[in-house]
Amino acid sequence: MVREVSESCVDSLLTEMVSCYCNRFYVNKPELAARRIEAIGYQVGHQLSERYTMERPRFTDHLEAIKFICKDFWSELFKKQIDNLKTNHRGTFVLQDNKFRWLARMSVDPSTDKVSSVEDNTSPTAENKAAQSMSMHLYFPCGIIRGALSNLGIPCAVSADISNLPACSFVVRIKAG
Amino acid sequence: MPPVAPRSGDAIFANVERVNAELFTLTYGAIVRQLLTDLEEVEEVNKQLDQMGYNIGIRLIDEFLAKSNVSRCNDFRETTDVIAKVGFKMFLGVTASVTNWDADGTCCSIVLEDNPLVDFVELPDNCQGLYYCNILSGVIRGALDMVSMKTEVTWLRDVLRGDDVFELQVKLLKHVPEEYPYKDDE
Amino acid sequence: MIVCVAVVGHQNNPLFIQSFTEADDALKLHHIVHCSLDVVDERVNNPKKSGPMLNETFLGLLYPIENYKVYGYLTNTKVKFILVTTDLDVKDADVRNFFRRFHAAYVDAVSNPFHVPGKKITSRTFAERVSTIVKSFGFSSAG
Repeated sequence: MVREVSESCVDSLLTEMVSCYCNRFYVNKPELAARRIEAIGYQVGHQLSERYTMERPRFTDHLEAIKFICKDFWSELFKKQIDNLKTNHRGTFVLQDNKFRWLARMSVDPSTDKVSSVEDNTSPTAENKAAQSMSMHLYFPCGIIRGALSNLGIPCAVSADISNLPACSFVVRIKAG
Repeated sequence: MPPVAPRSGDAIFANVERVNAELFTLTYGAIVRQLLTDLEEVEEVNKQLDQMGYNIGIRLIDEFLAKSNVSRCNDFRETTDVIAKVGFKMFLGVTASVTNWDADGTCCSIVLEDNPLVDFVELPDNCQGLYYCNILSGVIRGALDMVSMKTEVTWLRDVLRGDDVFELQVKLLKHVPEEYPYKDDE
Repeated sequence: MIVCVAVVGHQNNPLFIQSFTEADDALKLHHIVHCSLDVVDERVNNPKKSGPMLNETFLGLLYPIENYKVYGYLTNTKVKFILVTTDLDVKDADVRNFFRRFHAAYVDAVSNPFHVPGKKITSRTFAERVSTIVKSFGFSSAG
């Protein structure tokens, strides 16, 4: 039997983790906060790839591993697959989720505003701020993907593109090795 | 006097959106480990986990009240009972029990036998002072705070430290019912 | 009887090795494990008989040596599991079953948030689980 918890447990934990790093630990150093959030995702992805590749033949090439991330891995996490996979055949892959769950369920966190308003003197527009907070959240899934692929022997860099909300694209750039 | 009948935790849990517990467990573990790296002091990690829990608790209480049909709890005893039996079930999928009430009904223990936070976890020797599940005590404190019950929540037993169960002592410090936001005629 | 099991990282760094004999032959067993790693690499890089065996995690019998049989398994994350047994008549299904349970135990061990990837597995729970799996080797299919 698969153990389950309510989705709000995961949502609140992620929201709080991001808020903790962005608004308490590294208030004026978003790049440091981003690095920590990514590192947390990396560890999770590393462990999950170990778990989800059990009892499955080894992947023969990069594409097979990426396809695994798009299908089985994504389904375990989000109960759906990646909707669109593109590649330039030179080591860059774009994984698009048309309705990325963690963004769809993300609400503007009231505690974030409360805490950050004190330090935030750069007066960004509300829209700007929301985008910034969103991109902070995305360091976590980027870390997950990088951790999973690294453990499968594919060192890479992963970034997210949300210019097309609610769709979210993860760009995987495989490092020449 | 029978309390307001809450919906059973099982029924609510069956109806909420659920996810693989592994993701939750591993994410929490990665957070704890990252906090240890960043903050270095185990004491400070305990404090931050409690703070994170508190912030989560003050937000989760709304979802809890809405989904459980327990619009108001009359007293501390009833409230802790609902948290243990309905709250733990609807969020973590496990059941907790309430025991060890003191004579004046202001202090009790929430006992948890099964806890998804600690699946796979073994504390290293240099982390013996760590209250790994401290986020839970924060959640309870935060949630109770929002229904005007100021509490102090401390760990009495911890499976990761060799005990057979998890035991959280919840002590009521102050109850301010008049500040309770939900009025009868609302 | 299983006399030794080992987990070896992708740079051939030992992550866990445990022998199960009374005799003082740990050194010899470690040597056998060490030698088997080359066989694993060779097997994976030059799959002679392709077909269904190709890319399967279970690598089968690596080589027989003196009184031992050595079996191998390679995970998707390039971690090697080695099994050394003195049984001469070993059922393939038993070995597969062993590795399947061993792999599950390994996955749980590296899911400990305090485990550092690439470092030795120090978990007591893992050692206990391995010893249970080792003891029950060969019994599962018999009844």
